[in-house]
Amino acid sequence: MRCSKRSASRSRGGTQRWFSALRDSTIQRRWRADPSAARAGVRFTPESRAPARRPRVPGPERRRRKPIPGRRAAARLPGPLKGRVEGSLVLRHLSSTRRAGLLGARRHCSAPEDAVSVSPSLSTGLFPGSLRSRDMSRKRQRLVPDGFGLKRQRERGQAEADPLRGESGSARAAVAELVQLFPRSLFEDALPPIALRSQVYSLVPDRTAADRQLKALQEQGEIRIIQLGFDLDAHGIIFTEDYRTRVLKACDGRPYAGAVQKFLASVLPACGDLSFQQDQMTQTFGFRDPEITQLVNAGVLTVRDAGSWWLAVPGAGRFIKYFVKGRQAVLGMVRKAKYRELLLSELLGRRAPAAVRLGLTYHVHDLIGAQLVDCVSTTSGTLLRLPET
Amino acid sequence: MLGFLLARQAGLDDPLRLRRAESTRRVLGLELNKDRDVERIHGNGINTLDIEPIEARYMLSGGSDGVIVLYDLENSSRQPYYTCKAVCSVGRNHPDVHKYSVETVQWYPHDTGMFTSSSFDKTLKVWDTNTLQTADVFSFEETVYSHHMSPVATKHCLVAVGTRGPKVQLCDLKSGSCSHILQVMFAGHRQEILAVSWSPRCEYVLATASADSRVKLWDVRRASGCLITVDQHNGKKSQAVESANTAHNGKVNGLCFTSDGLHLLTVGTDNRMRLWNSSNGENTLVNYGKVCNDSRKGLKFTVSYGCSAEFVFVPYGSTIAVYTIYSGEQITMLKGHYKSVDCCVFRSNFQELYSGSRDCNILAWVPSLSEPVPDDDETTTKSQLNPAFEDAWSSSDEEG
Repeated sequence: MRCSKRSASRSRGGTQRWFSALRDSTIQRRWRADPSAARAGVRFTPESRAPARRPRVPGPERRRRKPIPGRRAAARLPGPLKGRVEGSLVLRHLSSTRRAGLLGARRHCSAPEDAVSVSPSLSTGLFPGSLRSRDMSRKRQRLVPDGFGLKRQRERGQAEADPLRGESGSARAAVAELVQLFPRSLFEDALPPIALRSQVYSLVPDRTAADRQLKALQEQGEIRIIQLGFDLDAHGIIFTEDYRTRVLKACDGRPYAGAVQKFLASVLPACGDLSFQQDQMTQTFGFRDPEITQLVNAGVLTVRDAGSWWLAVPGAGRFIKYFVKGRQAVLGMVRKAKYRELLLSELLGRRAPAAVRLGLTYHVHDLIGAQLVDCVSTTSGTLLRLPET
Repeated sequence: MLGFLLARQAGLDDPLRLRRAESTRRVLGLELNKDRDVERIHGNGINTLDIEPIEARYMLSGGSDGVIVLYDLENSSRQPYYTCKAVCSVGRNHPDVHKYSVETVQWYPHDTGMFTSSSFDKTLKVWDTNTLQTADVFSFEETVYSHHMSPVATKHCLVAVGTRGPKVQLCDLKSGSCSHILQVMFAGHRQEILAVSWSPRCEYVLATASADSRVKLWDVRRASGCLITVDQHNGKKSQAVESANTAHNGKVNGLCFTSDGLHLLTVGTDNRMRLWNSSNGENTLVNYGKVCNDSRKGLKFTVSYGCSAEFVFVPYGSTIAVYTIYSGEQITMLKGHYKSVDCCVFRSNFQELYSGSRDCNILAWVPSLSEPVPDDDETTTKSQLNPAFEDAWSSSDEEG
């Protein structure tokens, strides 16, 4: 399957030369992708489909562009450019790929708004949260029409239903997608798939809405939010059923199994919080001190303070270790780059260092959502840049 | 804009709607203006600014060298270019000047005859503006980080003072005593109080923020303890175990009530800003993203007033970040200072923002008006030529 796609794309000689670097990196990425998780999160569907469907523009770009009158006309370029080699190459690109907006932007000095709309689908498709950029004057205009009751201008590429993003903004779907990214085989299926809150922010651009939806899901009991020990701000999100099955499996046959089962049966459905207090456990749920000690030994509770505990996942220590190391490694990749910035596509195309066990995409989602790197939209895609401070 | 005016004229719209829409438009156009300047008096960083609430004409600034300066913000010259001059100042050679850095200044809320200033030299001084002398001095055992006087109080004259100790002290200006202390054994703060703020809605409600990551709401009439300790996770915990509630994952640096007093904004050293419902202490879960906060003392930020979507202006390193309060969206970053910004105030009548920073400058951010339409200029350039020098024949360059 893969070979056929490659040969098919190779057959279209000249036009493909221009995209070859990107295509090669995509193909290598696909081959290096984690074989256990078949389509897991290596959701390079825009690019992996791209070689076969070369003539067509991927979804978001076609819909996103609001045609600016001068550009299309100039891009079509009758007479004068036909003689030149690169002109004809460009024309063929235009007619074959219809990426009029992208190339038009490269030839003309584009107004700042264009940079937002012409970023390729790879970066904004995978990381929709990265479309926000903090320029001094760019986004201010959007509030003014609301205040004056004028018609709201069409938002560039965020609000339309996008088959590549699927959910277009629901936190639940984002979590479902992120747990696909989690490498289960690495932990021999003993850990439930954990997604991080910062990763949800990279998929759902509106953070407030994401927080509120996660809170609602937490109250309904669909997900549990776990305090990961290394950073008070980093919350892990686990589906409740996954958590329950894994914990039961982990404590099978152990002396604390009874206490854990009682905890899972009585406390988990009743209290959706991250932490538990002493008198809550003893009075409301009827746990005795030895039982609470057994729960701590089982790894279900972690001590927070005198008389209060965080909910925890047994065996999560390894995950946290890999996560922290992987995060530092990916940040180091950006840090070592020239000018401390890297194109997202280039970062994803590089070989992951040995410290990254959870997958580059997993960590990049987390870095973007936690704002440890700034996302700058450029005409070549999203650029990840370390903040100056 | 014309539609709004017409609707207001015809009575179709509430007159407030035009005002709010125009205020919002002006706030969205805030930028540095070459025509507006604030005279530079401070030789050290500026820690605090305050604009008097009665006329919004005079501004006080307190610096790291203990100097307090009073500026007149009103432009009474007929020209657009205007420098806000310092009317008077409490300089280093003043006999009553603070010994160390001034952390907070505040005008007396009801008239400009008096203002208060607190400083690292463990004192809170009450000044008479006209004679520029201290009317009263309150001394404390610890350095004072912040103080605030209630803007709506009519029944009391209490100044809440936050010091390095865990106790919040209330000084009474009428009697001159500072004996009222808000510290109850278990429910008080445990570390230094970095910010205090009275509610603009209820004259007895006080919010305090401390380095132990807690924000507490107090009713000063109640002797038994604080009303609420806010919890960032919105847990369903019982009242008795509020000791585990934290507002931030680090020190809480700054507090600001929204102008209607219904919500409270807090910033913390965990680089987060949170919006709380001030009646029940619930986290509204509005997420502003990363709000960089490296300040070890209090951070003074401000909210706009009179706009249709209220904005909060937060010092963010050497820039000022502008967010909408209720949706958490970042509007822009105002860049202009050279070093870290410490404080900012909003002048609601004119929709201007004044910010003070460690580079000893106070910058004025003024709404930028739209540029004049170009075709007006053509007619003026043509008429500028003196008729005596005009040619009698037509220019024939094109036909030649």
